[in-house]
Amino acid sequence: MVSDVVAPPELRVAVVGAGIVGVSTAWFLRRAGADVRLVEARAPASAATGSADGAVSVASKRPGAMMNAALAGLRLYRELAEAGILDGLFTTRSTFLVAVGEAEAAVLDAQAERLASVGVEIERLSAARLRTIAPALSGDTAGAVEVRGEGHAIGYDITRRLIRTGGLKVDRDLVVRSLRRGSDGRVVGLDTDRGPIAADVVVVAAGGGSSALLGLDGVLRARRGQLLVTERGPGLSAGLPGAIMSARYLLAKANANGAEPVSSRGYGLVIDPLRTGQFLVGGTRENDADRAVADLEAIAHVLADAVALVPGLAGLRLLRTFAGLRTAVRDGLPLVGRIPGAGDLWVATGFEGDGICLGPLMGRAVADAILGRHGDLDLAPFDPARFVSGRIAA
Amino acid sequence: MTVASVLVVGGGPAGLAAAARLAESGVAVDLVELRPALGGAFHRRPIDGVAPWPVGREGAKRWARLTDDLRRPRIRIRLRTAFLGLDGSGAALLDDLAAGRVEALRPDAIVVATGAVERVRPRPGWELPGVSTAGGLQMAMKETGRIPEGRILLAGNGPLLVALAGQMIAADRPPVALVEAGDPIRHPIAGLGLLAHPRPLLEASGHVLRIFAGRLPWRRATTVERIEAVGTALAVTLRDRAGRAETIEVDRVALHDGLLSNDHGLPEVDDGAPGRPIVARAGDCREVLGVAAAEIDGHRAAEEVVARLAGAPGADAAAARRLAHERHAQQVLARVFAPARLPVPVERLPRETVLCRCEGRTVGDLVDLVDGADAPGGREIKLSGRFAMGLCQGRFCAHWVAEAAAGLRPDAPAPLSGDLTGRRWPARPVSVAAVVASALPPER
Repeated sequence: MVSDVVAPPELRVAVVGAGIVGVSTAWFLRRAGADVRLVEARAPASAATGSADGAVSVASKRPGAMMNAALAGLRLYRELAEAGILDGLFTTRSTFLVAVGEAEAAVLDAQAERLASVGVEIERLSAARLRTIAPALSGDTAGAVEVRGEGHAIGYDITRRLIRTGGLKVDRDLVVRSLRRGSDGRVVGLDTDRGPIAADVVVVAAGGGSSALLGLDGVLRARRGQLLVTERGPGLSAGLPGAIMSARYLLAKANANGAEPVSSRGYGLVIDPLRTGQFLVGGTRENDADRAVADLEAIAHVLADAVALVPGLAGLRLLRTFAGLRTAVRDGLPLVGRIPGAGDLWVATGFEGDGICLGPLMGRAVADAILGRHGDLDLAPFDPARFVSGRIAA
Repeated sequence: MTVASVLVVGGGPAGLAAAARLAESGVAVDLVELRPALGGAFHRRPIDGVAPWPVGREGAKRWARLTDDLRRPRIRIRLRTAFLGLDGSGAALLDDLAAGRVEALRPDAIVVATGAVERVRPRPGWELPGVSTAGGLQMAMKETGRIPEGRILLAGNGPLLVALAGQMIAADRPPVALVEAGDPIRHPIAGLGLLAHPRPLLEASGHVLRIFAGRLPWRRATTVERIEAVGTALAVTLRDRAGRAETIEVDRVALHDGLLSNDHGLPEVDDGAPGRPIVARAGDCREVLGVAAAEIDGHRAAEEVVARLAGAPGADAAAARRLAHERHAQQVLARVFAPARLPVPVERLPRETVLCRCEGRTVGDLVDLVDGADAPGGREIKLSGRFAMGLCQGRFCAHWVAEAAAGLRPDAPAPLSGDLTGRRWPARPVSVAAVVASALPPER
């Protein structure tokens, strides 16, 4: 699990961004003995990580690079939990993909095939069987697929735990103005609001803030997600044995197919019974959004869908709404790897809705790659060279 | 030309004064009040069949004035309606509790006049059943005309406790004792400052006289150290200025340590962003200066809004002078009631002391959370520590948690109370069904 590669003595690494990806990268590098500076423009988990739904899930994935990564991400969470590092913060439970109507049943069936084909443990549930297992669900459901061994992890809790167990110290409210470069164009550190930071290696995991630092104009975009949390509903929790994901989410994802969503505001539906007894319900996938604030129209839409699937939610109170800007890449795949022609400059961002699932995994992969160890994960599909050829704008 | 519209939040003196002055200026006003009747805290109206609580001659005149002024066209009063905040689109969200429906309004401006919230210092046992706030007890008395059964102890700090004790004596149901951290009658020089404020001086003197005449045990320079449940009763341990402990057994404890502006979760005074309303605050929710100041400040806020709607800066020198006078009265009272000893810092209370009552989070939880190489900021304390995450949304604990975290980590930037409460809607919990109903047309 933890790389046995040891960093060269006094290897100085500056990690930009204390979201789950940056913190994970810093954690693995620190474990290997590197001297890590973790620089954050605001506070740890203050952007997408702190507004995520926390799904560590393969249920909605298609076979391919992202599915493989999600499966490996899930395995790493299990290992970190068993090792005590994420003890109590990673909950395993099934995801129930639920279909209403024929169109959704068809897409659900296709997804069940795909999941089974890559060895995911699933079970097809008839409407009658579903009612026995999940009595809180509405009677309108046409059936479901139970995806076993999925997990849930709260992004800000994971981040906090890694900061603590890694003995990391975050430089908060520290804005990075630009990368420092030597005369040969190789990165040698950061220029910040509070002066320069020298580093042998720089990792940019700054979400939407990565664009300006790396000169990646037009590659990254912000997709807003809106979510909400209800008060506790103990009776209702007992009737929901896992996360409920509407098959309509698969339809929305299929339509978007990683690239631009068809409409500016797409709706999916996941209802997650939390350990606290509260319910986390999401969410939207929106283009052209700049403010990370939820609006009534979206929250009412999501809740109406949620109540249609789990009628008992109508009897609870809404406690919090939140919104986050997920950083997505133009072609739908994250950017993870070395920036060509800039020395030891690395990037890890653009996970859109998969940052929580993939954060620790990608952190380990980047740390391994920096230290010259070939890990299990093939980073080739995420290579930033597909957008950056040899030289980058200084 | 369209008439400008203003939403006034809160039907206490500040909100009523603002609504009347706005309507007078030709603005269309929506006045929302959470409770079934207008009044706010000081002028809280009783339920049907109960005589109104005596508010004195000044008070009666003020109430008559405020309600007379409301009889203007262009004021739409909506009772049992909660303001939930501004959403991402700039809409003001209202929770119509009677209709069970959330509604979005797009006013040109909002006057937030949500009054004050009580400051209650955490102490071991303050979360026990039977412990309430003194202001909460006073509101219940005003609404029902009744004082709850059993032996009641009033404890904490500040003039509200003296007033409540006097009111309870007048109603023939005196408290068991009044425990006050300050020693107000030991400050005659500071008290002289009150001569400039004959009205509150007269009122306070009346309550003090009643306390002495009724031989109420008034433990000054004394604090409540802890409260423990003993059967159905509460054992309250007091500590006086000489360090002597005393335990008294009571049925109820009403705590109070002053007032804070009630602006939890509400939108900040506006940044002038296009498409978003002007936001002003009025009354105790802007600055805790009491009921007389609230009326003045309501008028001031209305004039500020009217001026800003016309594109002019809104500043009212006369109102500022009158508010300064009221501020002086509050400052004198604060000196008179200054605690005799510095209170124990929250972070040094016993580990098991509950800080967040909603989620049962303790001093020990906070100590463990902020310990280590990396000191978490306010929002991290909220999220990972689950402080200020419960149904009250941090109304009672956020500032204590922030203060304690600052005390525990003097090496890190001090977290702000607002980082813990946040300003996202809903400012208070709202029924899921009511949110869902917002998308439907209203029933006629």
